[in-house]
Amino acid sequence: MRFTQIAILCLGALAWGVQAAEAAKPAASVPPDAELARVLAMKGDAARGKEAYRICRGCHRADASGKVEAGYPQLAGQHPGVIVKQMVDVRAGRRDSPRMHPFITGEVVPERDIADIAVYLHGLPVPASNGKGSGRMLELGRHLYERDCAECHGKRGEGDGARLYPRVAGQHYAYLLRESMESRDRGRRNANPDMVRRIRHYTDDDLAAVSDYMSRLVPKRP
Amino acid sequence: MKGSSGKTRMASLMLILGAGIAFGAAASGEMAAQVCGGCHGADGNSAVAEFPKLAGQQKIYLLREMLDYREGRRHSEVMVPLLTPLSEQEIAGLAEYFAAQAPAPGTVARPELLALGKRVYLEGNTKTGVPSCDGCHEENGEGSKKFPRVAGQHAAYVLGQIAQYASGKRSNGVKVMRTIAERLSKEEAEAVAEYMASLK
Repeated sequence: MRFTQIAILCLGALAWGVQAAEAAKPAASVPPDAELARVLAMKGDAARGKEAYRICRGCHRADASGKVEAGYPQLAGQHPGVIVKQMVDVRAGRRDSPRMHPFITGEVVPERDIADIAVYLHGLPVPASNGKGSGRMLELGRHLYERDCAECHGKRGEGDGARLYPRVAGQHYAYLLRESMESRDRGRRNANPDMVRRIRHYTDDDLAAVSDYMSRLVPKRP
Repeated sequence: MKGSSGKTRMASLMLILGAGIAFGAAASGEMAAQVCGGCHGADGNSAVAEFPKLAGQQKIYLLREMLDYREGRRHSEVMVPLLTPLSEQEIAGLAEYFAAQAPAPGTVARPELLALGKRVYLEGNTKTGVPSCDGCHEENGEGSKKFPRVAGQHAAYVLGQIAQYASGKRSNGVKVMRTIAERLSKEEAEAVAEYMASLK
């Protein structure tokens, strides 16, 4: 990766981390993002990632489609940097996931494996059979998405890999709804503060509408 | 622990296995019968449910476990003294030998548990955070490299290992089994052990 880009990412991640820590519950200390910077700088290997991903398949499934009813996210096609950031954040305790935490320690998934898994997942085809919402509030969802979300997550939900903004298109509705509620209510501690500000006044229905809309987006494949 | 230790371990296991091939299949078969056969069966299909079947087991897993006994990472009053005098090449030869034997079908003692066992094996329990077993051990239970074959294994042995993982007595290898063993209910553990025994 280009040096300037890494530097911007590191600075951005650092600033973000500091803001998040101030906004959220009092943390004992601000965890360093050194590991995130290290793993982002690694060049992942998809073939090795396929092997390393085995340990994840019991929850996220072999095709990385996740599990709708359990709220396990769909990972196929996600930007590598997003995968890396979320894995490192869960491991470092910046994002709470009690079910996943024991499976992402350094002993189970070394840093190199995270880089490899991220590249492998990015290359997987995105299943179209993801969980969707009721479909009854899609017009509201579109309005909110285009006003507040599209700027970062992309008009078609494609996300922005370089800025670590996740692809939301094709994600499970239930997962999107849970995470956006957690973010709004300050339960998701690694949520981007700018996003939290934008959805702060959303009602549950607003979040449901926009989650349903996102779950149905289909980005253009290059 | 260094981040790269997992990969280094795998690489060194592969190297040792390479040396084991040079040791020779005939000599390994003889040693297997003499040293291991009493408990595990000369062809690795043990007749006693407390002793694991080794026939058809993943050779990297076999090698890693034997080395872990010898080096104090896995504990057994029986296995440690038996393995301590052997060379790495001899141990690698044994791993090759048992991996190459044909596994005999397992015994299902409680078929009424198979439906639950199948569900746990293929779907896990998302309420308690139990991953499905097939993620690592494969749908047919044959395992993959460092993840052991579980198909046809004795249910009593599997249950004993789950209990050891849960209590922390067994802590070697991939570090996720303790969490899984803690999250499994007694009924789920019994059922999944039966289901593993039923896999061919």
